[in-house]
Parts: sequence; structure tokens; C-alpha cells
Amino acid sequence: MSNSDAQSSTSDLRYVQYHGSKESTYLPAIRQLISKDLSEPYSIYVYRYFLYQWGHLCYMALDPSGNLIGVVVCKLEHHRSGTFRGYIAMLAVQEAHRGKGIATQLVCMAIDAMAERDADEIVLETEVTNTASLKLYERLGFLRSKRLHRYYLNGNTAFRLVLYLKAGTGMKRPQQLDDSGELPAQYGYSATSFDEIGVRDGHPVLEGSQVP
Amino acid sequence: MHVLRHDGQGLDEAKLVEDTSRLADPTKRYSSNKIESDVVCKFPNGDGNDQPKSAVPCQLPLRAVPKPTINRDVKAWDITEKFTQASLALNTGQLVKDEYFTLFESIGALEIMDPKMDSGFLQPGETLEDDYDALKPLLPEEVIGIMDQLLCYEMAWHQGYPLSQTLFTSVYIDKLLWPDPRSLEEAQFYRGDVKLATEAMHDILRAYCLAIIKCCDFVITKITSRDYFEEEDFCTHTYNRQLLTQVPLDFILHELELAMKFIETDQTSPISAELKYALLARLEFRRALLIALFPDYSASFLDKYWPPVSDTLPRIEATHKFGRPVPGSFSTKLQRRLASTVPPRPVVELEFKDAFEKLVQLCVDCEEAVRYTYLEPSPQEYQSFIWAFASRKPQPLAYARSYLSNFIFSSNNEVFEHLLREDLRSLVFPEDQVLDPVNWTIESPRNPMMPKDKRLQMASLIDEFTNRAIQNYHELWTALCQNRCRMRRMLCHSMLAFDQLQSDAGVLDDDLHALSSDIQQYPLITWVYHHKLRQIEWVVQLGFEQEIYLPDELPSMYYWLSKIAETRKRLLMTLLEFFERRQSKMEKGKKAEIEKAERVKEGKGYIESLLAEASGTKELAEALSSFYTHLAYLKLLPTPPRPFSNPSLRYELRMKPFLTLTPSEVFPFAELTAQLHPYGPYDNPNPKPNLSRILSDSVIWQYMDHAVKSAKEDFAKLKKLGAKAARAEGVKGSWEKGVQGCLLSCVAAGVAIATVKEICKGLGKEGVGGVEGMKKRLRVEIVEAGGDRVGKRYHEWWVVPKVVKL
Repeated sequence: MSNSDAQSSTSDLRYVQYHGSKESTYLPAIRQLISKDLSEPYSIYVYRYFLYQWGHLCYMALDPSGNLIGVVVCKLEHHRSGTFRGYIAMLAVQEAHRGKGIATQLVCMAIDAMAERDADEIVLETEVTNTASLKLYERLGFLRSKRLHRYYLNGNTAFRLVLYLKAGTGMKRPQQLDDSGELPAQYGYSATSFDEIGVRDGHPVLEGSQVP
Repeated sequence: MHVLRHDGQGLDEAKLVEDTSRLADPTKRYSSNKIESDVVCKFPNGDGNDQPKSAVPCQLPLRAVPKPTINRDVKAWDITEKFTQASLALNTGQLVKDEYFTLFESIGALEIMDPKMDSGFLQPGETLEDDYDALKPLLPEEVIGIMDQLLCYEMAWHQGYPLSQTLFTSVYIDKLLWPDPRSLEEAQFYRGDVKLATEAMHDILRAYCLAIIKCCDFVITKITSRDYFEEEDFCTHTYNRQLLTQVPLDFILHELELAMKFIETDQTSPISAELKYALLARLEFRRALLIALFPDYSASFLDKYWPPVSDTLPRIEATHKFGRPVPGSFSTKLQRRLASTVPPRPVVELEFKDAFEKLVQLCVDCEEAVRYTYLEPSPQEYQSFIWAFASRKPQPLAYARSYLSNFIFSSNNEVFEHLLREDLRSLVFPEDQVLDPVNWTIESPRNPMMPKDKRLQMASLIDEFTNRAIQNYHELWTALCQNRCRMRRMLCHSMLAFDQLQSDAGVLDDDLHALSSDIQQYPLITWVYHHKLRQIEWVVQLGFEQEIYLPDELPSMYYWLSKIAETRKRLLMTLLEFFERRQSKMEKGKKAEIEKAERVKEGKGYIESLLAEASGTKELAEALSSFYTHLAYLKLLPTPPRPFSNPSLRYELRMKPFLTLTPSEVFPFAELTAQLHPYGPYDNPNPKPNLSRILSDSVIWQYMDHAVKSAKEDFAKLKKLGAKAARAEGVKGSWEKGVQGCLLSCVAAGVAIATVKEICKGLGKEGVGGVEGMKKRLRVEIVEAGGDRVGKRYHEWWVVPKVVKL
């Protein structure tokens, strides 16, 4: 999706897919940008956990001098519900550049990338009071599926947002266990989103980070 | 451990050890009990109070700690050399990841020397420990100030923040609890073997602190005894501190009484009367609260516990101004001494005014919860109460909810089985032979070849059903006792459990029919189905309340609600007929039968009440669905562009919780589309007949008017039938308010429809313009839900738009 206004004011930005070989160039900036709005920072391994496995689902907005202006970090894997589930883990845009559609552009690229890789659905959580973030995702097609009471460490409540990409996703059911009682190897991890392991600081999209 | 290269920082051995010990702990920290809709529910009963004994002893750096207990089975190797060698082979940032390294573990990792992650990291000039002297003399004003600050933290904790960021930031509390006192005598502001003389003010503050700690202990005991969600509802973590768990209540009360006696009889100290009054008020409050929180309450005095607490509150509020804060006696640095890997985090500041409000609310809610024990023992009365309690605003705190849950669930299984049978009786077995107590007194024939008595067989079938259904029934009640967000999600599970139960009940119904022809058709299926349909309605209505649905989803969600309510209405109509048949049949019988007929008639009132409610729900939902549909044609509903989605995918997502229900309740997407698009697509309506002409014709609005009118009649009937028929007499006031809210929603809907109709009359005429111009003439406001406060909607479940003429 494009926005002509945003294009004109941000036409000097480059949108770049992350790659592991660029870690030393970009990771410090990614960390700085994201942890700025977090009460508690993630360790470097949290970033690496995502970027090492799903670097191709991370997109960055860079200015002409190569400075990081915005970033989106995602993952995509088989979820125990039976779906192939994309998860938008982090999204941040530098404060001075908010309101220009950069976040929207980053999210669109991430959704396209996940859809191309056959994702059934994409989910994320965001604070119920973060209207900018809610609007951004709801404009793209996400719906609120549930409210999560006191989800974040600061005591705030969240909405779970979900976007179905394929028909039949709602009918998918947990995979059958094999004889050994374990899931087949491709269904690697059981806990797949921040929510499921109880981490509550996942999604720092703040006011104004959306298309005006 | 996973070999992970640290960023540019060498790891020495000490740090490595420290790192692993930290890694062990976060698993605790993040093992919160989040349950999602797609997993089987498990409750964290009794979990999470303290660190597990098996946890690696956590040594925080640079402080004196007791020697760690060394497990003799553990052998230690120095891996510094190997580790250094191995890590040299990696570039900075190069990750060696095995498949067992999960997000979970990445979150648990901490970075040494990062000020936000490394709890031992000190800024230049910062000291590790706090240097506040707990023995420095205190003015009475300061004691009052500290007491009130402690109260603020206590209430913040009640709201769900951890002790580490609230009460455990108090130096005084810390002194009393660490090192772990072996007796109450040892819990002093000075610690050590030498007994120091303390000042009177210290003794008073100590008594108050001891009582606070004991209050916390009681609160944790109560909350963990019931279903709750750690970190979401409440944080029970005590960071390896014992909250005077072993000290009997009387000992603490005695300390409080000594302090009070001192103040009352003291002639020597120059404390002014008003300060004495303020101190006494706080000690008395603590005493009353401690007694009220005591888990081993006496059932016969239940109504005597909370009023005395409430009585002390005005005095505290009035004397708060005398307090003088002592900010130095609170410090985040104390968090370093707690068994936790979390670096010091900011103290949760709650203003006294807000804390006091919470405290008042806690007392009022608990006092209200006690009323549960005085209700007429009927499952419907109980559930009405539980709903009313859960709907209180602000939402009752976790403690108050546990307090109520305790009354609900403390009874044994037999009580719940009895409630289940009563539930069956009121819905499908009115004065019915199936539930005749005699059936349970009949013995099996000695000769197994002889046929069993029919009555015995009935009792066995009901027992079988009870055994099968009791867990589902119990879980439904549990769901109703959770916080509102959880309630909705747990009802989704419960609804599916009832769906399964419904298919199982069929066999038992067949057996019952074989035993008697004089029963409601498929009684057990009917009972389960009614409960299931009601839960579907609740899930949707709580969705409206929790603002799950966007404005342009309202046509379809109200349509869905109307369809479910309509199904339930039909079910209730067959039940009503059955009740009527039975009543008239019994009226023609002998005297005993005539008496029964009277009771059937009374029971019929309940069915009528349910029917009126279901019918009103169906009608108003239908009206709103249609109204919102027309607002969509008028382009008055905000509709996002949604480039990545389409209506059919969104419908599938919305219907996901209901897709597997049997019989199938979800109708095909095409049907929904046809229903909600009578004039073609909203943004491209059929050219003929012209949309302006259709909307300007009052006929189409009559349909909505009619539905609103019917809804109003239904809710008026519900109101007239009254709280007694609805079995909500115990919460008559809030029940009536709820019904009134539905009635007012009907009125508001009628007004909104009339306003739009009026403007539409002129559509297509000169000077009015077409459908496109409606945005300039009308504005539609979707009234927000109230959340934790009393909102602007007449009823949280009815999203009636406010239409403003421009």
C-alpha cells in the first residue's frame, strides 16, 4: 500500500531488508530505536533470536546517510493452534519521523514477505490506549480478537490483533501428535509469541507512528 | 548453557557464574500463567508463591550474602579457558544457535554492565546499598507519613504490581523481614543479637508494619486458594521472603494493641491529641483489616468483619494531612536484596487519594461479597449475584473477587451437584418425576436378572449426566468469576465444552424417553443447549463491552447476536409450552397435584423472564444490525481500506470460536452478505432502484422501528416480571438497572433511527443532495464503552450510535 503524501515527504528513505551480515552495521541502531520506548530493554539475544532466524522478515527504513529511521521485526512459524503464524514482534519509528507512513510501509513489506512465505495469519499485541498503532493495523485489515487484561509490565491492557491471509485458517486445528507423543519436527516451538511466554513489553508503536 | 558471544565484552569466570545463575531465574519470572483460547485451561493454584527450592541460588554481586548451600552432588569445573578459546573462534555477533534456544531463553538472558539489565551496575557515585538509618528518631508526623505511604504501596500491590516495586521498597519492612526472623521477637528495625532499646514511635511503626506484612500474607493465601492469573490479576511473588506466615494472628493483634494502649495511656510524651488520634485511627484500621482478612473466618459472623474496617476509614482520610512524608525510608535499591534477576525498577507511585479510593472500594466490595452467603440457595440467584458483582465499576480487585470465589467454591462437590440438579429442575424438569428425591432411595433388586425400578433407572441416568456435566458446569461458574477480559475468553472454552456435552447428552435423553413419555422432549440436550446459546450471546455481548468490534463490524455482529438469541427464543418457547401443559394437567389432578401446579406456575415465571430477555435481545440486535447496515450505505460508518484483507476472511476470523459448534450455528458467508447488503455493495449500490429513493421511503425504516418497538415491549415485560421471576432478587437494584439500561438503549435507538429517517426523507430532492452528501448533514458517533468506569452507554452491551444533525 502506498500513500502519495507519505511518498513525497519520505521519498528520500530507502527500505531495506535486514541480513545477518549487516548485524554490526544495524543491530546497535535497531536496539537503540526499539529499547528507547521500553521500560525494560531486551537483551541482545532477543534481537538475535528474531534476526538470526527471520532476518528476511525484518525491514528497515534508512535515510540517505544510512541512519536507521524505522524498523519492523517479525517471525513466522508453525503455531500450536495448527496455523502457520506470522508475528509482528517489534515496530518502531524515530519520533521526528512519525506520522509520515513509514511504519505503515514497513508493516506492509513485512506482511507481503510473510504472505509470500505462505503465512495463514499474522498476529500481534498492542496497548488498548495506543490509538495510532491500532489505527495503523486496522487500516491494513487487522481485527481485534481479544482483550488482554494488564498485559504489559506497566499494568496496561492490550488488544490482540489478527489478520487472516488465507481462507480456512479458522478451521485449522492443532497438529496431531505422532506415536512418540511429540509434534513432528517442523513444529518446533511451543511458545511462539511474547504473549505466550508472558513477556509484556512487546510492541512499542507509539503515538503518531502512522499515516496521518 | 548456550555458548553465546558477548558483545565486545570479555567474560571472566565470576561473571559467567553469575550469568548462569541469572539465567535460571528468569524462567520463574516469565512463567506467568497466561492461557490462550486455543489451549486447555490450567490454573496456577498454589503456584508462584515463592521461588522453587530447586532454583540455583542466586548470588547478587558485591554484597554480603549467607553462604550458599552447596549441593555435594554437584561438581564444578573451571571452564574459563575453554570458554575463552571457544569464543575466540566466533566473530562478534556471530550466533551459534541450537534448536533448543527459544524466545523464552533469549528473554531470560541479561547483559552484564548494561545499567538497565545488570542490577549490580552502579552509576558513578552511586552506592549499592541504601544508607537510611531505620533507628533514627521519628516524629509522630513522620510515622503517620510513613504509614500512609505504606498504605499507598499496599493498594498499588492490590492493583497488581509486584511487592518489589511497592511495599518491599520500605526500609522498615525490609528490616523486619530480612534476615528471615525466627520469631516475632527477632523482627525488629535493628537486627542482630544485641537487643537495642527502641523509641515509642518505632514500636508503633513496627506494630503497624508487622500488621501490614501479615495482611499481605493473608491476602496471598486467599488469592492463591482460588483461580487467578499470576501477574495479570495479581503478583503473589514474595522474593523468598516469608511474610510472617508462621506467626499466629493473635501475636500481631497483641503488638497492635500494645501500641494502641501506649498511645492511649501515655502522659509523658508531648504528642498532641490530634496526632494521637491519627495514630490510633491507623492502628485500629490495621487491626480491623487484619481480622477481616483472616482466612479462617467464622461463618456466623461474616457480616461483622468489614463494617468495622470501613468505619475507621473516614478518620484516616481526615488525618492524612498531619502526616509528613519520609521519602528516604523507601528505596528501589532494596530490590537488589530480593531474590530476583530483575534490575531495580521504578516504584509504583499511587497518590494517597487514589489509594484511599481503592481501599474504600475493597472494603465495600468485600462487604458486598458477603451477601452471597445470605442468598436464597438457587443456582440462578447465585449466578445473578456473580454477574452483578463482576459488573461492578470499578471492577472489583483480585482480592475481592477471590473473597467471593471462596464462598462460591469452598463448598464440596455435592453442593455443586445439587446446584446442577436445581438448574435442571428450573429449566427442564418442573415438578418432574425424573428428579423426585424418592428415586434416589430405591435399592437395586437383589437378583440382577430382575428389571430395575424405573425410578432407580432415572436416578442413575441423572447421576450419570451429573458426573459428566459437573466439571463443565463448575468451569462455567469459574469463568464468571474471572476478570472481564478473561471471562470472555474462558466463556469461549466453556461454550465448546457445553457443545461436547450436548452431543453426549443425547444418549441419556433417549434412555429417559424410554422410561417415561411425560417429560420435556430431549430435556438434557435442551438444558445444555440453552446454556450454550447463552454463553455464545455473552461472548458476543462482552465483545461489544470490550470494544472488540470495529464500527463497520457492528452490522454483522448484531446480526449474529440476533440469530443466536432467536434460536434461544425458540427453545424457550417450547419450554414455556411444556410448563403450561404440565401446569394445566396438574391443576386438574388431586390436591397434592394442585399444589405442584402452583409451583410449576411459579417456575414458569423464570422461563417467561428468560424468554422476554432473549426476545428483547433478538429484536434490538436485529434493529441495530439493520440500522448500522443503512448507516453503511449512507457512508456514515468509518470503514478502513484494509488492503490485506477481505470480508470473507474477516468473517471467518470473527466466527472462529463458533465454527465447530454442533448443530452448526454459523451461517454461510453468502447468506450474511445477502442479508447485510440488501441494495448491493455499500460503496457501489445497485443502480435500480436508486438508493436515494429507497432510503427516502419511510417503509424501510418501519422495519427497524418495529423491531425497536418489539424489543422495548420485551424488556418492559422483563421489567414487569421482576427480579424475583428472573431469580435475581438478591441483586434487585443492579438487575433493575440493567433492564432499565436495555430499555433506554431501545429508546436511544428509536431516536437515532428517527433522526436519520427524517434527514433521509429529503434524499434526492433539490437542495438535499444524494447519499454522498449525508456526511455533511449527519454525524454518527459510536458511543465508547465505559471500561473500568461508568460509561456513556445506557448498557455496555448495546452500542447504540448517537446521531447528530449538522
